[in-house]
Amino acid sequence: MVDQACTSELIACQQCDALYKQPCLNEGQKAECGRCGATLFERKNNSIERTFSLSIAGLLFLTPAIILPIIGVTLAGQFHNASLLDCITQLIGKGFYMIAILVFMFAIAVPTVRLIGALYISYCFKFNKIKPFLLHFFRAYHQLDSWSMLNVFLLAIIVSMYKLLDDTELSVDYGLLAFVLLLLCSTLVSVTLDQDYVWQTLEKECLDENS
Amino acid sequence: MKTAKEMGLGLCPECRKVNEMLSTQQRCSRCGSLFFQRKVNSLQYTLAWNIAALIAFIPANLYPIMIIYSLGVPEASTILSGIGLLIDHNLYPIAVVIFTASIIVPLIKIVGLFFLVLKVHLGQRLKPKKHSKLYHVLEFLGPWSMLDVFVVALLVAVVELGFVSTVEAGPAINYFTLTVIFTMIAATSFDPRLLWDEDDTIEIDKPKEEF
Repeated sequence: MVDQACTSELIACQQCDALYKQPCLNEGQKAECGRCGATLFERKNNSIERTFSLSIAGLLFLTPAIILPIIGVTLAGQFHNASLLDCITQLIGKGFYMIAILVFMFAIAVPTVRLIGALYISYCFKFNKIKPFLLHFFRAYHQLDSWSMLNVFLLAIIVSMYKLLDDTELSVDYGLLAFVLLLLCSTLVSVTLDQDYVWQTLEKECLDENS
Repeated sequence: MKTAKEMGLGLCPECRKVNEMLSTQQRCSRCGSLFFQRKVNSLQYTLAWNIAALIAFIPANLYPIMIIYSLGVPEASTILSGIGLLIDHNLYPIAVVIFTASIIVPLIKIVGLFFLVLKVHLGQRLKPKKHSKLYHVLEFLGPWSMLDVFVVALLVAVVELGFVSTVEAGPAINYFTLTVIFTMIAATSFDPRLLWDEDDTIEIDKPKEEF
């Protein structure tokens, strides 16, 4: 059996459970599992600074992306346009509550919470306000990873535009631009945030004091 | 090649810390989440969610997903007939995208997970590397099948031109969303490390470092 002091120097592959001694990496390097090829451990460049600025940028684009109309149609002299918010209110109005809730969750709520979460974590790290509460916070933050579907929604916008082009006159609004920028920021945030670094620092700062 | 399991260690799925397993279920010493060495009853859960997804997929294809009212005349289309309409209108790229996202991807996910569960159940570990690649692909594909749901949600909101043309969602959209969600839960219930357990054929000791 291995004692507690040793386990902190070990890492295991998430995909195949192979056990390694934790490698010493410089910023920008990553270690791959020799058995299955999954990424074991990564040190990202300038992670906290980048996450901080990108999440602020993302939050700025959030409101216009939701409220401004994304696309509009003109047919037989009538014009109508819709924003992300209109999608949800229309679905509720027509009785599709489940779809309305899911669109709200996947396209608005989850991305928003993730941006706010990333902002809060990088803020605490940047200004050295690390507290034990962050351990739980960061764990909860991770649960949301696979449920953000902004990218799928963008493809859906493109597909609907194609469909509508067929027999109506289509107009594109600023909402689409804001939405694309929001997607860009939220994708980049998940790329720049260095999980291993955050976890290790949290462990060092919060748990060593207690014991 | 040692795995964490063989050494009596377990990897926390939330924060990726290697813990010493003192009992079958345990709290992570870093983030405090409850976890097991391997996901418990992973195969049963995956199989159950998978079957649920397959069942929901049947009404999703039989009921209409979208009803278009043009000049007061309703025209209902199922997923497949909608794709047929797109081909009739010579919108081939969109037809391919929608066919891939709403028919091929869910089916590949369901069949693929059945296949992986069967492989683990039979204990055949001939190509664990290929199989965990397959699992990765399945996990990545998950959210993309939401495409059709988002397209319908957008069209419902945008095409609201009174008597001239309106679009309404059909009952199939609920079932289809359930299919997507069930397959996503099925994929997360599966533990890819099961594909590698008891496999001692490959001996590589050091992780590759990438610069």
